Amino acid sequence: MHHTSTGERILRGVLISLALIFFLFPIFWILLMSFQTNAQILRIPPSIVFTPTLDNYVSLITGELKTASGVLKLAFMQNLLNSLILSVASVALSLVLAVPAAYAFARYKFRFSEDIAFTLLSFKFAPPLLVLLPLTIYFQQIGLANTYVGLIWVYQLITLPLILWIVRGYFEDISPDIEHAYRIAGHSWLRSFLKISVPLAMPGIAAAALLSFIFAWNNFVFALVLASADKQPVTVGALAFVTASGIQYGQIAAAVVISIAPTLALALFAQRYLVEGLSLGAVKG
Amino acid sequence: MTASVVLDSVNKIYGARNPRPIYAVRDFSIEIAPGEIVALLGSSGCGKTSTLRMIAGFEEVTKGEIRIGDRRIDALAPAQRRVAMAFEGYSLYPPLTLRENIAFALKAEKLDNAETARRVEEIARLLELGPYLDRYPSTVSAGQQQRASLGRALVRKAELYLLDEPMGQLEPQLRAVLRGRLKRYLREHGLTAILVTHDQTEANALADRIAVMEGGVLQQFASPAELKRAPANLFVGTFIGEPPMNVYRVKPTVADGRLSLSAAGAELFGYAPGTVSDAVLDRVRGREEVIVGVRPADVRVGASGAPAEVVSNQWIGDQTHLESTFPGGVIVATIQDRFRAKAGERIHVDVPADRLHVFSSEGSALSHGRELAAPRPAERVAA
Amino acid sequence: MASLALDHVTKRYGRETVLDDVSLSVADGEIVSIFGPSGAGKTVLLRLIAGMAEPEEGAILVDGSDVIDVAPEQRSVGMAFQNFALFPHMSAFDNIASPLVARRLGRDGIEDGVQKIARLLKIDHVLGHAPRALSNGQKQRTALARALVAAPKILLLDDPLRNVDAKLRFEMRLELPRLLERFGSTVLYVTQDYREAMALGRRIAVLVHGRIAQFGTPDEIYDRPANVEVAELFGDPGINLFEGHVEAGRSGMVAAVGGMRLPLAPGFERIAGRSVTIGVRPEHVGFAAAGTEGAVAARVAALLPLNDRMVRLLVTEDGRELYTSREAGGAAMEEGARGHVVADPAAIVVFDRETGRRIAPRSAGFASPALQENP
Repeated sequence: MHHTSTGERILRGVLISLALIFFLFPIFWILLMSFQTNAQILRIPPSIVFTPTLDNYVSLITGELKTASGVLKLAFMQNLLNSLILSVASVALSLVLAVPAAYAFARYKFRFSEDIAFTLLSFKFAPPLLVLLPLTIYFQQIGLANTYVGLIWVYQLITLPLILWIVRGYFEDISPDIEHAYRIAGHSWLRSFLKISVPLAMPGIAAAALLSFIFAWNNFVFALVLASADKQPVTVGALAFVTASGIQYGQIAAAVVISIAPTLALALFAQRYLVEGLSLGAVKG
Repeated sequence: MTASVVLDSVNKIYGARNPRPIYAVRDFSIEIAPGEIVALLGSSGCGKTSTLRMIAGFEEVTKGEIRIGDRRIDALAPAQRRVAMAFEGYSLYPPLTLRENIAFALKAEKLDNAETARRVEEIARLLELGPYLDRYPSTVSAGQQQRASLGRALVRKAELYLLDEPMGQLEPQLRAVLRGRLKRYLREHGLTAILVTHDQTEANALADRIAVMEGGVLQQFASPAELKRAPANLFVGTFIGEPPMNVYRVKPTVADGRLSLSAAGAELFGYAPGTVSDAVLDRVRGREEVIVGVRPADVRVGASGAPAEVVSNQWIGDQTHLESTFPGGVIVATIQDRFRAKAGERIHVDVPADRLHVFSSEGSALSHGRELAAPRPAERVAA
Repeated sequence: MASLALDHVTKRYGRETVLDDVSLSVADGEIVSIFGPSGAGKTVLLRLIAGMAEPEEGAILVDGSDVIDVAPEQRSVGMAFQNFALFPHMSAFDNIASPLVARRLGRDGIEDGVQKIARLLKIDHVLGHAPRALSNGQKQRTALARALVAAPKILLLDDPLRNVDAKLRFEMRLELPRLLERFGSTVLYVTQDYREAMALGRRIAVLVHGRIAQFGTPDEIYDRPANVEVAELFGDPGINLFEGHVEAGRSGMVAAVGGMRLPLAPGFERIAGRSVTIGVRPEHVGFAAAGTEGAVAARVAALLPLNDRMVRLLVTEDGRELYTSREAGGAAMEEGARGHVVADPAAIVVFDRETGRRIAPRSAGFASPALQENP
């Protein structure tokens, strides 16, 4: 019924290529930069012909940056580990809290349920600093400032509402009859939740976890205000590359490449669940 | 106003240039007389809806010709074809009331307000839509929307009416009434109509002739009675008829003019010499296997015939469905009355030779009913 | 196996009353059809029994004890859903096995149980398939197998044949009673199809607007419907209804409908003059010679073949529509033909026009006023 002419096909190819170049060029350029020295990067005009060097990566991993004004200590590996600890723990905690909550919001219409759900989302509306300033003082008083626990707690503001709202939608899409059928078969409420509801919402849970991980990983302001050097994630740690002797573009690029890697790996891993979720949608009827 | 319709070798082929084109409709040819009601009947994906959409102009005809009267229409824009269509998905205009929706179809006829109102009221009465006319589509039930969609098609003056599953969503109690009303309306106005349905009850009730489709191919085009009496093949035989035809694979043996149909060594039906015509005996003689079909309504339950045992007996108001086991397996009979027999009761079932349908083992029809039976002497003289 | 009773059960959702003072008593091992138009509350009734919802008022008694506070998983009910409600991430085998898993049967016990029911329902060859790989008929059988496998005391079937094609529906309708008998469960069968209700239920509870309009055997309900609404729900085409009044005729009482005078069976003398609605089923309207008592002149407006019957839409001289349904092939009147039809007096049902309730003929033997129905 729908005929595609050759011209149409070529045009489509060109448009897709343009879009790909537009979106992928920065990543490609960063990748090239990470194998160049600062001098090569700052050449005018820029060139993609150069002798690659691993110096940037070496200095990140050894933690020593040789600049014109001497050797600088870098905490990049520590930052990377911090990022990992903060993001993974925040998402894990959010999943434990938000998935059952999302189920409750999806299945039970209790008094103020909509208001509570909305309030949780409303934290996302305000500028983070609005929440942070009073928190900083309290955290210092109760000893939570500059601790992983404190940071993970604050990170819940990012991850929890996101997971709650996404997963709630997925739970709502599961026919309650399927859960009822399982309970009538003789299984308790908890088993029905764990064996039916959660597996069927898994694509949503995976998507929500992936998204909130990305948001947590990329967070800058919370950690900037609440964490000092030894608890800083890569986003804050990258500030160290702005040195007295200039901005270390090569190292920044290498740091970016390394810090993209975990997110990318997670996305590839989660993709399986996301696709599976799409095909599970064909159950009805 | 009403016109004949001809579909001449109409094809709908997807990916015609591909190495493996998909034939949604293949060499479909029928001729419809003015004022005739025709049903396209088949299960989903049989090509009936594609055919209707080609007639309406929503789907391109890959090959072939469609004519209404003496106009060739397959290349015309839908609006120029002078057809009215009721859509399965209703497609009512949401911001208009049902009354406005139905009246909207009359815009092109440029009638004065009084005449428009009269026509809308007439259709609304026919479809029992009166109380809902001033409501909006989103506030009425699916059945009411469907009736409005049907009304929007019927209110127009057209040469051909196309009705796509016009009763699928109707409340069951109303369905029978509207079947009667619709047929009466089409008849009294002498309208030509093509109806697409998967429901044979609807097709039987409404249509003068039914085109049974399967896999994009027309299987048979005949009156409801003819489809039952002489199905062209096993598909039509088992598809038409509720409850469905009883079907048995049997070995035919002809000895001294006696026809015996047996399976696994047991005789299902036996016919004494002279009850089955020689022509039919010749057609089955020597075959390893044939398929015989027996319509439930043709099974005689009584004192003679094969011994059987009642398995279930279900009375549904105007008839009884009786399922029994007999030497051939299971046989279903319908009795046009209340029949008292409990499960386990012993009865006899018999199928007269003139009610037997015989198919080859590949499913093509070998012979049907009356021609199966040897002509009685009186008829022989007449012939 | 258990008896089941609903005792004055009322269920509301918000301000809407979905079930209104429903009482129903089902004997051990009985099959009862719950029949009614969509939105009558049939499914809600099953949900209450299964424990998926709680009634505002009333009690649900299984073997005499109230189960309202018993969790669904402990009620020992089996249920088949209209939309099948199969677990999409489990194989057909695991779907069917789930009630056995919950009862902590060993691996062998589960394997045996599933295989046995699967063979019975002819789905043993697709047990390894995921629900999405099953045909509609197989899905439906899997759902049924899951409901039956643990031989529940009470089996709730929510319009299980709704989503399968006509042929399969017919096969299953014939097969179900035998299957159910094997398990001996007490069965509630919800359906919107009056044929299924009549064919499967030993008794039928007709549910209209959340109330039980009539509870009786198929014969009782078809021949002696409690009211006009119940009468209209049974039959295809539905019962012919006319408004008129009862008066004395040449030889007994007649229903006067416009110019028609339809003779009634004896027993209606006491309601002379009453405004009534009379109902006569299409299969009880036959052709007659002109001049026959009660014969009505009519024209055949449309022939509507229905299975092995011929349904005719007749239009009387005063424009009323009247359906007849006769065995096909009998004496025939073709489209456009004029002739006379007559309704079988014994089959005419008389309803009070105001209340809609049926008025029973008073037989001579029961003349005592105390036994009079519908005073």
